[in-house]
Amino acid sequence: MKRRNFIRISSLSTTGWVLVQMLPLKGFAENAEPACFQPSPLIKMCDDGKIIIYVQKQESGQGVQTSLPLIIAEELEADPKDIVVQPLPFDNNPKEGGKYETGGSTSVPFGYDALRKAGATAREMLIAAAAATWKVPTENLKAERSKVVNTVSGQELSFKELYATAAKMEVPKNPPLKNYKDFRLIGKPGQKKTNLKDVLTGHMKFSLDVKVEGMLYGAVLHCPVYGGKPVSWDESSIKSIEGIVKIVEVKQMGDAVSNHGGVGIIATNRWSALKAQQKLVVKWNLGPNATAASDTYNKQLVQASQQKGDLIRDVNDKPGTLQSTTSAGWVKASYAIPFLAHAAMEPVNCIAQYKNGKFELWGGTQNPGKVTNDCAAFFGIQPQDIFINLAMMGGAFGRRLNVDYMGEAMQLAKAVDKPVQLMYTRFDDIKYGTFRPASAHLLSAKLKADGLPEVLQHQMGMTPVSDFFDGNKSLENLTYGLNGGFEGDMYYAIPTVNGSVKRTPSALPTGWWRAVNFTHNAWVIEAFMDELAAKAKMDPLQYRLKLLAPLQPMTMKGFIHYNPRRLENVLKKAAEMIEWDKKREPGTGVGIACCFYNHAKAYTAHAFEVSVNKAKEVKMHRAAVATDIGIVIDPDGLRNQIEGGFVWGMSAAVKSEITFSAGTVEQSNYFDYEVMRMGELPPLEIHVVESGEEPGGAGETSVPSVFAAFTNAIAAASGLWVRQLPVKSAGFAVSA
Amino acid sequence: MPSFSLTINGEQKQVDVPADMPLLWVLRDMLNLTGTKYGCGVGSCGGCTVLVEGKAMFSCLLPMSFCSGKKITTIEGLSADANHPVQIAWQEINVPQCGFCQPGQIMAAVDLLQTHPQPTDEQIDEAMGKVVCRCGTYYRIRKAIHKAAELMHK
Repeated sequence: MKRRNFIRISSLSTTGWVLVQMLPLKGFAENAEPACFQPSPLIKMCDDGKIIIYVQKQESGQGVQTSLPLIIAEELEADPKDIVVQPLPFDNNPKEGGKYETGGSTSVPFGYDALRKAGATAREMLIAAAAATWKVPTENLKAERSKVVNTVSGQELSFKELYATAAKMEVPKNPPLKNYKDFRLIGKPGQKKTNLKDVLTGHMKFSLDVKVEGMLYGAVLHCPVYGGKPVSWDESSIKSIEGIVKIVEVKQMGDAVSNHGGVGIIATNRWSALKAQQKLVVKWNLGPNATAASDTYNKQLVQASQQKGDLIRDVNDKPGTLQSTTSAGWVKASYAIPFLAHAAMEPVNCIAQYKNGKFELWGGTQNPGKVTNDCAAFFGIQPQDIFINLAMMGGAFGRRLNVDYMGEAMQLAKAVDKPVQLMYTRFDDIKYGTFRPASAHLLSAKLKADGLPEVLQHQMGMTPVSDFFDGNKSLENLTYGLNGGFEGDMYYAIPTVNGSVKRTPSALPTGWWRAVNFTHNAWVIEAFMDELAAKAKMDPLQYRLKLLAPLQPMTMKGFIHYNPRRLENVLKKAAEMIEWDKKREPGTGVGIACCFYNHAKAYTAHAFEVSVNKAKEVKMHRAAVATDIGIVIDPDGLRNQIEGGFVWGMSAAVKSEITFSAGTVEQSNYFDYEVMRMGELPPLEIHVVESGEEPGGAGETSVPSVFAAFTNAIAAASGLWVRQLPVKSAGFAVSA
Repeated sequence: MPSFSLTINGEQKQVDVPADMPLLWVLRDMLNLTGTKYGCGVGSCGGCTVLVEGKAMFSCLLPMSFCSGKKITTIEGLSADANHPVQIAWQEINVPQCGFCQPGQIMAAVDLLQTHPQPTDEQIDEAMGKVVCRCGTYYRIRKAIHKAAELMHK
C-alpha cells in the first residue's frame, strides 16, 4: 500500500503553545503503514483504529503523559481505548526546542486551552466530514466515543471512516469548546498512570535502560571542586582492569552547563568503567574554590542578609528602598537554609554518538532546547547538529533542566567513534549536582496598633540559580529568586513590603529544584508570620485571615491573577482538618502555613500536629493539606502529586542537607544525604477544593507550605522558634 | 574471564564476566533485563532488589562469585502479565509516579508478604524502609501491600 497520509496541520499560535512541524516519524514502515489524518501535530488518527496523542512535555513522574492526553481526548470525543500516548519526537528546529521544556508546574496551566482547541479542531473537522458524507447540516451531528452520530436519524460513522474526507475540510479557526459540566474524562476518577503495566513488569524503558548497537560505557571521575581541572593522570593505576577503551579529559563547559569536568573513562562494560572511576589516580588543579567551606559561606550569607541588596523591589514590583530598622518597635528574625541535592532515583545519564560533525543523543531531559543551544556552543556546531531521542525520566525535580551530563556524554562520544552511555553514579549525583541554593534571610516588621504589620522588610543573601543557569551574573538574574511573597507577589495585606537580595557567590553550582524559590520565601515568611502573631498575642490562623480579609482579587506581578478568597478557603479547610481549635496537652501543638503558587495558579495550605519534649524530640502526630488548583484534570494523579510533594518537602524540612569543605560536597549517597523513608511520615489527610477555576499546576504547589506548617507546629508545641533547616541541624530529632 | 551459570526467572543462563561484577550489571547489561534498577550501588536505596532463592537482596552488592548456581527472580519474572497479587494491588492503588523505584519496591513487598502474609504497619516499615522513593509514593505502597495481602488470602 502506498503511503497516503491525510495531513492537515492547524496553527495554534494564538496561545503561546506554538507547536512544531512534525518530522517524519522514525521507524515507520512504508508498506505496513496505516493511513492517517493528522489535524494537529499532537493528534494522529489512523485507519487501523489507533488515535495517537503526542505529548510535547517530558514525563518524569509528574503525570504529563496522563493529564495532557486527557485534555485533548475530552474535546476530541475519542474513545479512551483507542488512544495511544506517545512522547512527541524532538524537532531539531532550534526555535522550537524550548517548547519541550518541562518545569515550573506549567504544563497543564499553560497548555490547557491550546490542547482543548487542538482536540476540538479535529472533532469539528470529523463532524464536517460526516455532514458532507450524509449531505446534512452539522447541527444535528455530534461526536462521541470515536464516532460521529446523527442525533435525528441515528446514523453513525466511525472516526476512521471519515479521515479521508475530514482531511479535505476547512480547519475551523475557533472551534466550540465543551462546557466543563459536560466533561466525560477531565476530572473523572479512575484514571490510571499511562503505561502503568510496563512500569510494574519492569518493561518501561527509562533513559538508563536505553541500549544502542555497539554502545560503550562511560564514567567521569569528576574534579572534586567546581572550577578545578585535571593536571595529569596515571594510567598504570587502572591497568589491571580489563576492557578500558580510552581515558580522556572532560572539560568544564562553562557555568551555563555547570558540569564539573574531570577525567572520562570509556570501557566495554559498565563495571570496568566504574572500577576505573574508583581507582584512577589523578593529579588535580583544584582551582579558586579549593578552600571554600560551608561554615565560612554560611557566615557570608548571614552578613549579606544584613546588608543593602544588589536589588530591592517593593510590593508593586518596583524599585524599593530599605528602611532603617534600628528604632524601637521592629520585630526581627533570621533564618538559614542549606544547599540541597535532588537525588532523583534515576541518576542522570545520556548516550551520545558523534558522526560527521553531528551528535545523536538518547536520554531523558527536561530541557532539550538548552542541550542543543548550550552544548552546540561548546562544540562550535549549530544547534540543529544535535539530535535528541528523548527518553522517560526516573524523576527529575529540576535536576534535568541542567544539561551537564549530556554535555559530558558528548565529550566522551567525541573521543571515540562509537556511542557511549555516561551514567553519573549516586556519588556523582550527590557531589556534582546543581544545588538548590543555600540562603540566609533577615526579616523585619513594624507592627501597627492592631498587631498587624505595616512594613515587612525581607533581606536575603544567596546565589541565584540563574547566575549559573544563564551563564552570566546579570542584575536581571536576581529577580529569578523573588517568588513566594518576596515583593510584588506578596499575598497578604501589608502596605509596605521591601524584598532585598544580595548576591553571595557560591562555590557550588546552583540549580532549579522542585518549587525552588518558594521553598525559601514561603518558609521564612510563613514562619515569621507566626512570630509576629505571637508578638501581637494573636492566634496564627486568625492573624493570617486578618491579613487576607482586606484584599480583593487582583492582578499582581507578572500579570498573575490572585484571589485571596481561595487562599483563605484552603487555610480554613486545613485548620478544620487538623482540629485547630481543639484543646491540647502542654507539649503538643499545631502549626499552619499557606502558599499562593503564583504562575501555576495554585493555592495550598498545610497543617501539622506535633508533640515536642524537653530533649527536642519531635513526634509528628498527623498532617493535613488543602489545595485548590482549579479544574482538576486527573484527580488521582493530583492526589499522588500532593502526597509526593509532602514527602519531598518533609525530607528537606527534617534532614536533607548538602555541606562542603575544601570546596567539595561532604555527602555522597543516600546514607549521608538522607531522605524520607517508609515509616518516617505522619498520617496525611488531603482535601482538594473543587473551585472550577482555570486549571493550575500540581507538582510544586504541594511543597512550599510544608516547611512552615511543620516548624510552626514545633514552635507551638515547644515554645522554640525554628530558624534553621533542616530541623535536624537545629537540634531536633523527628519521628512519626 | 571466569564463567558463571545461574537460573534467572526459571531459565538457565551462562555469563562470562569478572568474578567481582555485581549481579545488577549482569542483569542489566549482559542479559538486557533492565527492570532491575541502579540507584546507589551501595545497598542504600533498594532500587536493585531481586529475589535470590526467594529472599529479597540488593543485586548491586552481590558479586557473580556469590550468585553462581543460585535461583534469581527479577521483576520481569514475577508474573506473566502483571498478574502477581502485588502487581495487581499496585495497579488498583495506582502507586507509581515516575516508576523507577517500583520494581525494587515490588520485589521487597513480595518477600515481605512471604514472611508476613498479613503484615502490620511496623513490619511494613521495617521491610520497606530499605527502598527509597523520591516521588514519595510511600502512602500508596503501604495501602497496596495491605491490598495485596487481602488478594493473596481470598
